[in-house]
Amino acid sequence: MLDVRDLRVSYHTAAGPVRAVNGVSLFLRPGERLGLVGESGSGKTTTALSLMRLLQESAVIEGGQVLLDGVDLLRLSEEEMRLTRFADISLIPQGAMNSLNPMLKVGAQLLDTIRAHWQGAHARGAIDARIEEVLQSVELPAGVMDSYPHELSGGMKQRVCIAMAILLNPKVIIADEPTSALDVVVQRQVMETLRRVQEALGAAVILVGHDMGLMAQFVDRIGVMYGGKLVEVGPVRGIFKDALHPYTQLLIKSLPNLKTKEDFRGIPGMTPSLLAPPTGCMFHPRCPQVMPRCSVDVPVLEEVKPDRWVSCHLYDGSPRSASLRGVHQA
Amino acid sequence: MKPLLEAQNVTRIFGGGLLHKGHTLAVDGVSLIINEDKPSITTIAGESGSGKTTLARLLLGLIRPTMGSILYRGDSLTAMDGRARKKFRREVQAVFQDPYESYNPVYKVDQTLTTPVRKFRLAHSREEAQKRIEDSLRMAGLRPEETLGRYPHQLSGGQRQRIMVARALLLNPRVILADEPVSMVDASLRATILESLVKLKRELGISLIYITHDLTTAYQVSQNIYILYRGSVAEVGSVEKVISDPKHPYTRLLVNSVPLPDPDIRWGGETEIKTRDSAPVAPQKELRGCKFANRCPYVMAECHQAPPPLYLTDDDRAVACYLHKDNAPVSGREMAESLARD
Repeated sequence: MLDVRDLRVSYHTAAGPVRAVNGVSLFLRPGERLGLVGESGSGKTTTALSLMRLLQESAVIEGGQVLLDGVDLLRLSEEEMRLTRFADISLIPQGAMNSLNPMLKVGAQLLDTIRAHWQGAHARGAIDARIEEVLQSVELPAGVMDSYPHELSGGMKQRVCIAMAILLNPKVIIADEPTSALDVVVQRQVMETLRRVQEALGAAVILVGHDMGLMAQFVDRIGVMYGGKLVEVGPVRGIFKDALHPYTQLLIKSLPNLKTKEDFRGIPGMTPSLLAPPTGCMFHPRCPQVMPRCSVDVPVLEEVKPDRWVSCHLYDGSPRSASLRGVHQA
Repeated sequence: MKPLLEAQNVTRIFGGGLLHKGHTLAVDGVSLIINEDKPSITTIAGESGSGKTTLARLLLGLIRPTMGSILYRGDSLTAMDGRARKKFRREVQAVFQDPYESYNPVYKVDQTLTTPVRKFRLAHSREEAQKRIEDSLRMAGLRPEETLGRYPHQLSGGQRQRIMVARALLLNPRVILADEPVSMVDASLRATILESLVKLKRELGISLIYITHDLTTAYQVSQNIYILYRGSVAEVGSVEKVISDPKHPYTRLLVNSVPLPDPDIRWGGETEIKTRDSAPVAPQKELRGCKFANRCPYVMAECHQAPPPLYLTDDDRAVACYLHKDNAPVSGREMAESLARD
C-alpha cells in the first residue's frame, strides 16, 4: 500500500551535505503497525517527515519514490500534496502537544483542518457531527471544543492531536514519538486509544521512536535504522527474540528489564558522523563481528529468511540472499 | 550507622502558607537517610508533579524546607556555618537532566572542569590541576584526549553527560544526586552512563541519589526506592520488593504501565484503571485523606478521612495504604533508618 523506494535525503550545512537518509526502502501493509527505531541522528524522523513532505528548508530529497497506492507523493504539486496530507496520510508530530495553536480553541483548529479539505460542499451540521464523533472516539468530552490548549492536560492535548490526525480517515498515520513527553500511565492510555482508533479506521501506522519497550508493546513489525540506513526489518517477535544484525542484537542487550538486575550493557563507541561517514558498513567501527570486507563493501538490505530483512555481510552466503542476487543479475 | 545526608520529615509548600488558598504542597513529610558507612544507590521515583525534583532541590540546599530539616553530617543546612557549608557544597554534587543546558556553548568544555578546581583550590599547580581533571574524566569513562579542547556541540549527549559526572568527581564527593541523568540520551548510551554511576558506588564508595520516572533503570541500579505520589511517599523499600511485587495500588499502576521490551508480556497486566487521564485534574484540596483515593480502584470510606500512615508489610518495605492496615504502622523516619542500615 505504502511503498518507499530508495529514499535519499540530505541536509545542506555549512560543513557540507549531511546524508541523513541514505537509500531507505520499506513497505507498509494495510492496517499494520510498523515501528521505525533508531538513535538520535539515525534518520528515522527525517524519513517520516519526507513521507509527508514536511522537511525543513535545508533538507533536500535527492532521490527515491514514496508510492501511496501507486501514486508517487514526491512528484505531486504543492497543492496536490496539501490535499493529500490529513486526507490520505497524516502526522502526529514530535511533541505534538506543543503543535496546537495556543490562540485558537480546539474546536476551531479541528474545523480549520476539515475546511481546508472539504470545500463548501458540506453543511455545517455534518462538519460539527464529524468533529464530535472524532472527539468521542479519542475519549474526549465534547466540551474540549470550547477549550484552549493550555486548559488541557498533556494527555488530553495528545488526544486532540490524534483526533486531528484521524479526522479525514487517512490510510496512513505517522506518529513521531507521540508520547515521549507523557508519564508512563498516561502514555499507556494514549497509546491504547491510538491503537483502538487505528484498528477501527483500518489505517496503517508508522510509529517513530527510540523506546524499544513501546515498540514491543505496540507494533507488528520493526525497522531498525542506523546512520541513515535501515539495517534490519522484521516482525516484532523475531527482532526481540532472534535479532539478526549485530547492531540490533546489541541494542536489545542494552535494554534494562524488570527481571534480572544489572543485566544490560551499552554499545561501545559513538554513532557515525554523517558528514564523514565510515566506508563500507556504517556500523563496522563498532561491530564486534567485523570482517575485512565490512570496511570496504556497503551491505544491502536483503530478505534472508521469510519476512526477515537484514543489511549485513554475515548473511552474504544465505540461500535466499543468493537467489535474490541471482534475480538482480538476471 | 553514620547518617551523612538526611531529610527529616521535610515539607515544602509553594505559593503562600498552608492556610493560603493557592498553595501547592510539593513535598509532604518525607524522610530519607544516606548512611556514610554503607554506600548505596537510592532511587526517588515518581511522575511529573510527584515532587521528586523539589525534594532534590531541598536535598541540595537550593531551596529551604517549609517544615522539617535537611541535615548534612548532623548539621542543619539552614543553620550551618561557612566552613560546614563549604564542605557540604564540595561533598554533595549534582548531575542534571539535560547535559547540553549545563554548558556555556561559547566556552570549551575544559572550562566546566577548570572552574571547580580553581574555586575550591583543588590543585597547587597547573600540572596537578591537569592530572586531576584527566583522572576524573577517566573515572567517568572518557578519554581525556577525545574530550578536552572541544566545544559542547562537538561532543555526543552521552559524553556531555559523563563530563558532568567527571566534574562532580573532581570534588571527591561523598554523595552524588543525579536528577534524570539519562532521560535525554539514547538507549545504548544510557546503559553506559548508568554503568559508570554504579562503578562510582562500587569502587569509590560514593552514595547516589537517583531521581527518575523510569522504573526499569531504577530497578537495575538501586538498592532502595521511594515512590512519591503528589509529594508523599506511597511506598518505600528495597527495589526487589517494591518493583517485583508492588503493594500500593499506585505503584502497581505505575509498574504495570511500563512498556517492557518483550512482546510476550502484555502491557498493563491485570490492573484496572478507574479514572482516565481525560478526567479533569482535581485541584490539590484533598488535604484530609489519601491523595490517590480519587484514582484508586480499591478506594474505601476511610481513605477520605485521613492520610494513611506507612504500614510495615515486610522487613524492608512499607506501604502508605489502608489495604495493609493489618501490619504495624511505622514512621517515615524509622523506615529511612532501617533501609539505610541494612
